[in-house]
This record gives sequence, structure tokens and C-alpha cells, in this order.
Amino acid sequence: MSSLTGLPATVRGAFAEAIANPKAFWAQVGVMIANDLAWCAFWVLFFRRVGEVRGWDADRALLLLAIFATSAGVVLGVFANSRHIGRLLADGGLDAALALPVSPLPHLLVRRMSTVNLGDGLFGVVLFLATGDPDLERTAIFLVGALASSGLLLGFLVATGSLGFFAGRGEAGDMGFHAILLLSNYPADFFGGATKLLVYTALPAAFVSAVPARLVDDFDPGLAALELLAAAVALFAGWAIFTAGLRRYASGSVWTQA
Amino acid sequence: MTAAAPASAAGTPAAARRRRPPRWAGVAVATGAGRMLAARGELVMGMAIQVLIVSAVSALWRVAVEANGGLLDGYDARSLTWYIAVSEAVYMAVSSRIIEEIGADIATGAVASEMLRPAPVIGVRLATQFGATLPRAVANLTAGCGVALVTVGAPPSWGALLLALPAIPLGAACNLVAAHAFAGAAFWLRDAGSAWFLYQKLIFIFGGMLLPLQVLPGPMRAVAFGLPLMTMAYVPARLASGHVEPFLLLVQAGWLVVLTVLAAAVFRAGERRLQTVGG
Repeated sequence: MSSLTGLPATVRGAFAEAIANPKAFWAQVGVMIANDLAWCAFWVLFFRRVGEVRGWDADRALLLLAIFATSAGVVLGVFANSRHIGRLLADGGLDAALALPVSPLPHLLVRRMSTVNLGDGLFGVVLFLATGDPDLERTAIFLVGALASSGLLLGFLVATGSLGFFAGRGEAGDMGFHAILLLSNYPADFFGGATKLLVYTALPAAFVSAVPARLVDDFDPGLAALELLAAAVALFAGWAIFTAGLRRYASGSVWTQA
Repeated sequence: MTAAAPASAAGTPAAARRRRPPRWAGVAVATGAGRMLAARGELVMGMAIQVLIVSAVSALWRVAVEANGGLLDGYDARSLTWYIAVSEAVYMAVSSRIIEEIGADIATGAVASEMLRPAPVIGVRLATQFGATLPRAVANLTAGCGVALVTVGAPPSWGALLLALPAIPLGAACNLVAAHAFAGAAFWLRDAGSAWFLYQKLIFIFGGMLLPLQVLPGPMRAVAFGLPLMTMAYVPARLASGHVEPFLLLVQAGWLVVLTVLAAAVFRAGERRLQTVGG
């Protein structure tokens, strides 16, 4: 039996758990949509006052927000544990997954869903449909861009969280999570010097939102290839660091304390 | 021998004790501050996040100012960088999860057990949280002002920055008290878990955290200036950005009184309800 056979059942279980209380589910989705609307308001107010800057205006900023919300919704909503890997390692939360006849990383990733962030994903798609001037080509680029962005974000969060295997603590994962989400909120073209270098390399926030947004507006095959390459590298790095760390993992036996 | 003249009520030792802040308040502030100082990892993480946020948001505004001839609604690149450094530091000094935590404490009954103490629940909570806020504010300001110093140099006005010093704890206090009033809804709703998202985002725009209120369009600006949210980020940031406007401190003090009365009333009513339904 493949070690991935149980995944669909795990996903179904996680989803059933997430929507077990429909009232709370929709309330949380609604709150996240309100949260995202505040960001929309910020970008509209900002560009209304300052005009077009470095090729960015309110429409493109909303496109950036749509892609970012969609990918953050997919990663933090569907693969909710991706942001908690460092803490799971530090608290011994990995032990329960290791006892199961499944591949630990995919199982961990789909084991929990976050209802709040599912609202993000929903909002991102609706925002694109409402303000992104969707036609067939733009919609296709949006979907592929959001998918690549999700892969990159997922790989990055797994990679930084898995550094906990080597550091013994979860701070690197937390820091990576906050850093990439913070910087992905803003157009990378506004940054200069070291920050710009950072968001295109070690902390690839530009590939999470700004690059896919630019591709939807102004498709460039070279840039698209770079986006896909960045996503592939991040996913590989996440898998490789987790696998290497798992080889040296020594259980804290925390779950046996009960 | 003549009998001693009776002392006036205001001069009795008991009256003097009443005038002094209660001892539990000092203990709670010190406990909150001590706990936060012990969590060095959290402080360092907060500083690192502060560096990132101030770098990103101030870069956004600097580019916008450059594109608009170097001045935007009375702010230049230097004053906007200092504005963002202080607005983010004050806002992030208050735990972003505070409303969620208060809601959970109400829902799980932790507040009900706090009612057994010989001190007001909201008083102890506010004092403890204020104590925890102070080290966070110092750490955030160190990080944020460090970024501002490196990117744009000294603050626009040292005098205005001096005025910002009392505005920072006042702003954090207004935020804390308002968050308690907001979270008090959990006494009735039982789930205030997500309300903090909305509260946080109101401060983003109407509190002037991400953008100075002068940038808002007319009607929105008028609403923002009429809300207490402006005391939580805009006032200290406005002062730190070189605007010598001491009356803003009075505005903060006034709103702090109003918000404290409101939060105390919400908690009093909520506690009565808990007693009625058995918590």
C-alpha cells in the first residue's frame, strides 16, 4: 500500500472537523473577508492619494492582494500545519504522525485545516473576478500564478519550520512565517537595495505575490519560467530539509506522558 | 489637657490611602513587565518583525513621497519614516491576540475565578497587560527607530519626539482599554475569537497605523479624527514625525478616561451576568 493512500481520507477528516460548527465556520470566513477588505481599502486610499508609482496603481495592487489572499488561503487554510512545523517538532507533535503507516510530511500538512484562512482563499478568487478584469488568458495566468505562489509559500514554510530539526527550537519557522507574509503584502518594486535582493532570493516574497500579479497584467515567458522555478526550488528545499531533519530526529516522547 | 481637634475627612490616613493607587495595581504592572522581560525570545522576535515592517511600510511611503515631489500632505520622506517607526511600535506593543485571549478567558470561566479576588477583574487585567506592554514598546521602538535612523537619519524635531514619549504609553493604554471594552462582548456573545481581526483593521486605517490621517479623503478623515482609534497610533506617530502639537496629549488623556469608564461598565455588567447565569 502506498504511504499516500490515506491522504484523501485525512483531508476529508480535516475538512469535516473544520466545518463541524457551520455557524462558527462562516463567521470566521466572514471575519477574514472583512480583514482583507481593510487591505483593499488601504491600497485604494494609498494609490488614490499618490497616483501610479513604479508601474503600480490601485488595480495592480488589488491583483497582488487577490493572488496573495488565494495562495495564503490555500496554504494556511488547507495545509494549516505548514506554519506550525517548528512548534510541532519542539512540542513532540510529530511523534503521533510517525507511528502511522503514512508518509509523515504529507500527513502533517493535510491533518488540519484553518477555517479563518479558507476565507482568505475564497476572497482572493472573488476579488480577482470582481476587479481583475478577467478574461480567459488572464484567468489562466491568475490560476497558474496562484498555484505557483502556493507551492512556493508551502515549500518555504516547510523549509523554515524544518530548521527546527537542527536548531531544536521553532523560532526560525515563526520568523520565516511572519517575514514572508509581511513582505508579500507589498509590491516588491517599492523596495530597494538589500531588501529587494532579499525578497527575490532568501525570503522570496516577491514570487508569492508581486511577480504573479505582474504576469497577469503583462505576461513575460522568462519571468513566468522564473516563477515556476522558484516554486519548484522552494518545494524541493522544504521536502529535502524536512527529510534530512527527520533522519536525525530523536523523539521527545511527549505524547506518551499522558 | 485638651482633646485633639478632629482631623478633616480629607486629611485622615484612611482618606490618604484611598487617594493612593491601590497596591495591587503596582504589583500587577510589575508582574506583567517581569513576565514579558523573562520572555526574551518573544521580545527579540518582536524586534525582528518590527525591523521588517518598518522597512517595508516606510519604503512604500518614501517611494510615494519621491513620486509626489518630496512632500505629501505635509509629510516628507524623513517625517513619514519616523511616523511609521512609531505608529507600528506603539500598535504592536499591545498583544495582537488580546481580544481573543480575553474572549477565551470569559468563555472558559477564567474570569469567573478572577472575580473571587479582592480587586476589580478589569483593573488587574489592565494593569498586568500594561506592564507587559512597556517592555514590548521599548523593544519595538528600539528596532523601529533604529531602522529610521539608518534609513533617513535623525528625527525631524527632537522637541516633538520628546512630546511623543508620554504619548506612547498613553496610546498603548488607550488601545488596551478599548480592546477590553471590545472583548467584553464575549460576556454576551460567548465567542469573541475573531473580533480582534476587525478591531485590528480599524486601527490600520482609522487609527493611522499604516497611513497618516491627513492622507484620508475628507469625510473619512473627519470620522477618523472623531474616533478614539486615532489615539492608539496616529497621535504618538504624528508627534514623532516632527509636529509639535501638545494638545494631542490632552486628546489622548480625554479618550483614556472615556474608554476606561466604558470598559469598566462593560465588565461590571458582564460580571453581573456571569453571576446571574452561574458562569
